[in-house]
Amino acid sequence: MILLLGNLLLFLVALAAAPRLGWLWQALFPGISRPVWDSQSWFALLAEHLMLALGATLIAALIGLSAAILATRPAGRALRPLLDSMFSLAQAVPPIAAIALALPLMGFGAAPTLLALVLYAALPVMRSAVAGLDAVPAAVLDAARGTGMGPGRILAQIELPLALPVIQAGLRVALVLAIATTAVGAVAGARCLGTPIVTGLANGNLSWVLQGAVFTAWLAVIADQALRLGLDPERRRSNGRLAPAR
Amino acid sequence: MIRFEGVSRRYGEQVAVDRVTLEVPRGSICVLLGESGSGKSTLMRMVNRLVEPSAGRVLVDGRDVAGAEPEALRRGIGYVIQSVGLFPHWRVGDNIATVPRLLGWDAARVARRVDVLLDLVGLDAALFRDRFPHELSGGQAQRVGLARALAADPPLLLMDEPFSALDPGTRRGLQSALREIHAETGKTILFVTHDVEEALTLADTLAVLDQGRLVAQGSSASLLQEAEKGPVRRIFGKESLAFHRLATLPASSLARPEDARQDLPMLPADASLKQALMLMLAEGSACLAIPAEGAFPGGTLHWADLVAPR
Ligand SMILES: Nc1ncnc2c1ncn2[C@@H]1O[C@H](COP(=O)(O)OP(=O)(O)O)[C@@H](O)[C@H]1O
Ligand SMILES: [Mg+2]
Repeated sequence: MILLLGNLLLFLVALAAAPRLGWLWQALFPGISRPVWDSQSWFALLAEHLMLALGATLIAALIGLSAAILATRPAGRALRPLLDSMFSLAQAVPPIAAIALALPLMGFGAAPTLLALVLYAALPVMRSAVAGLDAVPAAVLDAARGTGMGPGRILAQIELPLALPVIQAGLRVALVLAIATTAVGAVAGARCLGTPIVTGLANGNLSWVLQGAVFTAWLAVIADQALRLGLDPERRRSNGRLAPAR
Repeated sequence: MIRFEGVSRRYGEQVAVDRVTLEVPRGSICVLLGESGSGKSTLMRMVNRLVEPSAGRVLVDGRDVAGAEPEALRRGIGYVIQSVGLFPHWRVGDNIATVPRLLGWDAARVARRVDVLLDLVGLDAALFRDRFPHELSGGQAQRVGLARALAADPPLLLMDEPFSALDPGTRRGLQSALREIHAETGKTILFVTHDVEEALTLADTLAVLDQGRLVAQGSSASLLQEAEKGPVRRIFGKESLAFHRLATLPASSLARPEDARQDLPMLPADASLKQALMLMLAEGSACLAIPAEGAFPGGTLHWADLVAPR
């Protein structure tokens, strides 16, 4: 926890300091005339980066959860292998390829990036939700039906609350994947921490490339750190929740 | 109260329940006895439509359950299962309140009802109301399961091997709690078990299932008298048939009308011959005194009469 907060603080300080470190960039890249990235503020890029990742995770959550619910209903059980392979395929497509394929249809900007991220992040949500819903004890479901609860009520009041810890773990994985992957959106013109990398490559400005790369990697490390921290107590609680009813 | 009329249920080629016709009178405990896989659960679950019959029909209070809306039907029938199935994320009180809340009772009435039920099943309301299911022993959990089934005061209870997973002592405690609750509330109870002792302890009437077929029905005593061959004899265990039979006969019926001697061990007048045998073995005495009670004038029970052919 201390480690995570310290790292986060350091990251923010570095973002604030980067435009003021002209001498450092100059020393590292003496041949470059404008080594300081000043087209946009780093914080604006960070905010847009996070918005993209969060938006994509939200959409992936809706799609993944719906698919998982469908796959665990008696009527949808036959669809399960199909859904699983569809989502696996979606994740197998590298985001950069997904963006390239979406570009002609969706044009430059955030949209193709969002699509690529959603394709990438939906699988962990679906897998975790299926696992969580499957783990609800059969006796609990039998008892719920026996008391006269309808299918919708059983889903909302029994199955989803019991599966929640496992679903949350999947959501975190999806969010971390999205945060780490959003930078590729810069090739399609989405503004994010990847933007200085792409702009720098286009202009032969290695100083911008380096700064963008460092901050992108750094953010992904922080997200991963937060994920690990989030998972441990969650796993403990989920064990208590899903303990078989006696 | 419940009538099965020529009820069958097939799963593919397999016939789980085969043309069963059976009536459970109002206010009685009917025990479905049979080995594992004989179709007991399938037959029982047709009453609250967790299973639909392939043929025949099930009537509750004279009405075909096929015409009832399943959820509404189930709210009017208590259902208790072996693995209890308490909702692990709800406190004991909320578990018990399930059906009353589904029926839209107001909060104050629900809260009063929860306390009454905890008391009825022998749990201290103040101590148990706010516990989570994982904080209960197996016996306590099944008491809560029973309370949940009784919550909206349904006239009919379905119990599917409710005590089979419990240790013998706990099981006997719950059996006697159930008998007391039955005496107090007059519920109609359909009770599934594979345990002969349990069946004889609880049953007003017994129905024996074998491979989906109803092979015998009636009072425990009449079933045991006729159980000389076939599946009934096997299910009751042929070695212990005579012993089980003793459990269905009152000790007073064999007592000699002698004055009860003071030096003999005393047997309560309502005891069974099985209890008499147990007491003789425990006390090392071939004679027992039975005190007068009601119409019974008192007398002495002799070992010779107990083992004489009947
Ligand atoms: N949903 C089902 N699908 C297929 N077969 C079933 C199903 N339910 C029960 N059976 C079969 O029907 C038979 C009777 O089962 P059941 O009623 O559970 O027996 P019991 O409760 O007496 O142990 C068993 O052979 C079982 O395998
Ligand atoms: Mg069964």
